Amino acid sequence: MIETKDSKAFSPPRQILVAENLRKSYGPRRALQGLTFSLKAGRILGFLGPNGAGKTTSIRILTTMLEPEAGHFTIDGIGSEHPEQIRRRIGVLPENLGFPRQMTGFEYLVYYGQLYGRTAAEAKENALRLLEDVGLQQRGKSLIGSYSHGMRQRIGIARALVNDPVVVFLDEPTLGLDPRGQQELLELVQRIARERNTGVVLCSHLLSEIEGVCDDVVILNVGQIVARGSVAQVISRVQQNIILGNALRVQVLPDSLAEAQQALEAMSNIMKVTPIGELEGWLRLELIGATDGDATNVHQLNNKILSILIRARIPILGFEVEGSRLQDVFLHLTEEAIQ
Amino acid sequence: MSTLQNASLSKIKVSASASPAWWLVFKREMADLWIGGKAFNLMLIYSVVLGVMVYIYSFNTELSLIPPKEATYEMLKNAMAVSMFVGLIIGADSLSGERDRATLESLLLTPASRRQIIVGKFLASISTWPAAFVIAIPYLFVLAQGDEVLGPALFWGGLTGTILVIGYTAVGMLISFWSGSNKVSYFISLGVYAVLLVPAELPGKSAGAAGQFMQWINPMAAVNHFLSKHLVNYRSVAEVGTFLTTSIVLAVLSFGTLLLVGSGLRLEAGRGSKVWAKLGRAIGLSVIAGLLVASLLLASPAYAFQGEQDLTITIDGDYKLVKTGDKVEFNTLVTNNGSQASPALIVAMNIINLDAAGDVVDPEDWSPQRTQYMQSLAPGESLNQGWIVNTILEGDYMVYMVLVPEPAAAETTSHPVASSGIHLTVAPFTRLNPGGVLPFAIGGPILLLVITYFVYRRRRQQIDLGGSE
Repeated sequence: MIETKDSKAFSPPRQILVAENLRKSYGPRRALQGLTFSLKAGRILGFLGPNGAGKTTSIRILTTMLEPEAGHFTIDGIGSEHPEQIRRRIGVLPENLGFPRQMTGFEYLVYYGQLYGRTAAEAKENALRLLEDVGLQQRGKSLIGSYSHGMRQRIGIARALVNDPVVVFLDEPTLGLDPRGQQELLELVQRIARERNTGVVLCSHLLSEIEGVCDDVVILNVGQIVARGSVAQVISRVQQNIILGNALRVQVLPDSLAEAQQALEAMSNIMKVTPIGELEGWLRLELIGATDGDATNVHQLNNKILSILIRARIPILGFEVEGSRLQDVFLHLTEEAIQ
Repeated sequence: MSTLQNASLSKIKVSASASPAWWLVFKREMADLWIGGKAFNLMLIYSVVLGVMVYIYSFNTELSLIPPKEATYEMLKNAMAVSMFVGLIIGADSLSGERDRATLESLLLTPASRRQIIVGKFLASISTWPAAFVIAIPYLFVLAQGDEVLGPALFWGGLTGTILVIGYTAVGMLISFWSGSNKVSYFISLGVYAVLLVPAELPGKSAGAAGQFMQWINPMAAVNHFLSKHLVNYRSVAEVGTFLTTSIVLAVLSFGTLLLVGSGLRLEAGRGSKVWAKLGRAIGLSVIAGLLVASLLLASPAYAFQGEQDLTITIDGDYKLVKTGDKVEFNTLVTNNGSQASPALIVAMNIINLDAAGDVVDPEDWSPQRTQYMQSLAPGESLNQGWIVNTILEGDYMVYMVLVPEPAAAETTSHPVASSGIHLTVAPFTRLNPGGVLPFAIGGPILLLVITYFVYRRRRQQIDLGGSE
């Protein structure tokens, strides 16, 4: 069971990470151009961006592995001019972290516990607790070299928690895991944030993962923040600026797909209905003319479409406005910035 | 108020009784090296090499004639050369290897000071030398055959080997510190090793002032020269001690530089700061320049000579009855009875067959220790030298010595002085026992194998051998 910090559980969330105008260049290339954001205790912040957006540079700066050219950040009130003190307060699971194959998981955690200033006895006690937290209590005495990829990620997260950190940085923690492994790991991340009241910065390219787990999101592109806020805020803000209401998506039973397509094509407000090839049972509905962002028009049209399908006795499994997913927002924002 | 003072106290407290980071890193690295198997495997190969060498020394007809002092020195030299190689390679892997295996980042993410990480790794990297030295002791014991050379060989071998391994390992770690990948680190380290080793092994290496200078400036060659002169040729430490200078300078400078730049250890190769990068390069160049200048200042007095003198040479024996295969030991005493310092001196051994019909003696077969060189002798000073003759063939022989003052210039000569002779009567005898060396040659590697087996077995008992999920 993950230890709960009762003293913090009922106090209002406080800012535990504040980054202000961080900048970094590699020669002529500007990797980071004024990164500014904050994170509160107990919340999970999704860090998104296409390849080369500056995610890893940001994480390396915030974990003191790189020095910024300009800007400043604090973690738990400690300024970036005190890297050693910051390292005492953060836990990190870097992307592609290597592990000593000849150590057992238990030895690995004890070693790092001691490097953070615990005595051998304290480090052993803590290691046993962490192994239990990440579900590796049965494999603590096995060599890490014999661990599966998922087990290594879990022992890596346990290592990141070995100093009871205030902020945890997880860089692509689910990379290479099967769907079940991804789900289990994300549940673990949520437990870390909720039960330890720890702030988590989660870097991932899996947008569904960020959307399902994160409270807040920062979207980076070419070294700049293109959106930040809570997941709902970011989606809502972007929806107001893009092709809101011009396309809808409906999911029906695959057997009813043709019938639903026929019924919807008969509607006057719909220009085109096409099955979405890669998503079984989904139809994409292109609307005639714009709804001009008028929410009343949008809702009326939505109701009309749904009522036609219900009257035709076609079971509706899913219904969404195109642009309401984080993936849509991400693609729109990053594409816009590139253009 | 600083941001540190504003910090909350929500993280773990550093225990007052917690171990220092360098000790933790040292223990971890030792476990990786020795329980992980790398060091044990290297030591096993090393012991096999020593075993083969000692076997060849004892059974090969020609090599078995090498006197104990020289054989001991040769074994010590080779043991040190292999150990320096191991130290350099382990040092070269210490940082760039962790970068390649992506394990350095998690270490750097801890609050442990970079310098302590470096110190812990360094101490673990030099740990193979004491082990290699201990492994070499039985072989040295066998080759010394009871000769008094064993004690000085162990003392000076241990001391000079420690100095060299500090220098070589620190150089390996510096290369690893600056290298972007392990391949580059290994490549450069092997290049450095070859540059230092090959000139020391080339024939005619000490010919001329340039050759002697190169020998002096090369730490390994200089230490070999020191050991050779002190252990085999009875030179005092005062006479040849300057040959230890470069190895000491290398050890101090390379380890000092490592500590200096080590505080900037980071994920990418080298130091982050351009100022530090320039400073590091400047220090590296200074080390090389310092070695050159120091060698110029210190090398020249060792080869000066002067003046005319009144020299005598005496020998401590007149007749010996021995058997073929026996070893005859005797001493000569060279004295400068004059009022001026002598020039450099050469003592040459001559062996002649007293039977006119007998075989002509080839002194090379009887003793490779045919000549010994000495520096200038002060007025009234004497120098004792030990000699060994391995009796090869039966018959009557005369062994006598000739003392040759080194000519003052290229086109001048000098007047050799002869000693009295030792009349040797050699009776036939076939020696079947070559020293009982086989148990040592085979026993060393087997013992290491047994130790390795028990270490691995204990480790397997500690861990759960289950497969992956």
